[in-house]
Amino acid sequence: MTQAATETNPAQGAAVLAEGLSRRFGEHQALDSLSLSIEPGESFGLLGANGAGKTTFIRLVTGYLLPTAGTVTVDGFSPVTQADEVHARLGFAAETARLYPELRVEGFLRFAGEIRGLGGDALDAAVARALERFELASASRRIVGHLSKGYQQRVSLAQAFLHEPPLLIVDEPTSGLDPLHQEVVRDVLREARGGQTVILCTHDLDEARRLTERVAVLHRGRLVALGATADVLDGADLERLFHPAPGEERAEVS
Amino acid sequence: MSARTAGRARPLRALFRKELQVLFGSPVAYMTLTFVGLVTALLFFDHLRVYNQVLFVYTSNAMRGFEAGTIPDHVNLRDQVFVPLMETLAITLIGIVPLVTMRVFAEERSRGTDELLLTSRLSPNDIVFAKFTATYLFVAVLLAVSFVYPATSVVRAGLGLEHLGAVYLGLLAVAVGIASIGLACSAFTGSQLIAAISAYAIAFVMYDFGWASPFVGPDLGEVLARLSFHARFSTFSEGLVVPADAIYFLGVAAVCIAITRGSLDFVRVR
Repeated sequence: MTQAATETNPAQGAAVLAEGLSRRFGEHQALDSLSLSIEPGESFGLLGANGAGKTTFIRLVTGYLLPTAGTVTVDGFSPVTQADEVHARLGFAAETARLYPELRVEGFLRFAGEIRGLGGDALDAAVARALERFELASASRRIVGHLSKGYQQRVSLAQAFLHEPPLLIVDEPTSGLDPLHQEVVRDVLREARGGQTVILCTHDLDEARRLTERVAVLHRGRLVALGATADVLDGADLERLFHPAPGEERAEVS
Repeated sequence: MSARTAGRARPLRALFRKELQVLFGSPVAYMTLTFVGLVTALLFFDHLRVYNQVLFVYTSNAMRGFEAGTIPDHVNLRDQVFVPLMETLAITLIGIVPLVTMRVFAEERSRGTDELLLTSRLSPNDIVFAKFTATYLFVAVLLAVSFVYPATSVVRAGLGLEHLGAVYLGLLAVAVGIASIGLACSAFTGSQLIAAISAYAIAFVMYDFGWASPFVGPDLGEVLARLSFHARFSTFSEGLVVPADAIYFLGVAAVCIAITRGSLDFVRVR
């Protein structure tokens, strides 16, 4: 954990707190008055079909996008006005791996560590740990662009975990991985429980059930369900959200 | 250095190093470096060939109407080879530099790695600073490749080192100006092709506003001509370093840096 990340905001409560958070792209309302709170150390699932607003919410939390209305804070810090504090606490792996294909795996991880403020022995140790954790040691000298999609996905996840951030955001972390490495990633996410706050974006309900304590379900940018994972997944007709019948509009969750 | 400043220096250094690694590791880099070397050599020998022909005409016995051995003042290595070579090299930079700059921001956007950078400890200012300085360093290396032939003019034509230094300072200023335009264009698109074409268009217009004089009248035409890269570079190519010209190129770079910085904010609100 970086030094800056160990400093806490006196106003801190929730790890992530969104209040009336909205984002519009032209005429399209991608996120509509979302309010939710994620507690420190919690494994939180963000569910929804494609276009539900999951990625927009994540980008508002990371500060990559600015909200059109409402606020969001990370450990009490605003991504809009205190981006440096937020980024010191953040590890993020997008669904599509954001990598530099011309770098070698180890070189990329070193770069990712350095832009998160790691250096010297701490950087060496973090890279070695990440290579081992995600079973990348044998590929450490390979060029990222020459790797298979599954390997690239693991490199992307490794960079997010590298600096052991207090807040981890992972978007579809097991997509593109073979069953063996899906389990490796799930184990890492289970290990993170308690110590790190994890936001897991997925439309795999089974994965959400196995890895999260609470979930929020988004539909067309609105929060339609929020609660303990088992309660939400067992009590709501989520299938209609994710797999509407032919000709049927995606339904609201009761 | 404060802890916060020290904390920012490492990510900044890492990005600067990565940019250099990507710039010098790409085939485009070596193609452009080779191209500059070849073009300089071809231009140099072509100007030298013409100079030798002119010299031959003036000195040959066929020039019976002239006093033997008289060669006009303007027929010398400086005016016939060195100055035109440098002027042509400045135009050549317009064709080359956008090829280097087109990927710098556009590639980050198309790969999505801008999100990686913008959610790290790097501030948008850090990203712009690292990318601009790394690109400026590359274009400086690009100019160094062209150095050998003009340098022979210093040895053979008695051209002063000061003159050579002034011309290369001017070339560097032109290259920095074109690179800045190219980087600003690259920051507004995810397409390297669009980045390159828009940089070519703007750089060609900026290089010489002389074409606008017939349309805007002589007074405004004169003002526009003074805003041309060519007009500003010509004083350098004469061996003069006029602070106003250097400030002009720094101003172009500053405007482009500000536009690029604005583009990173635009991504967040678009």
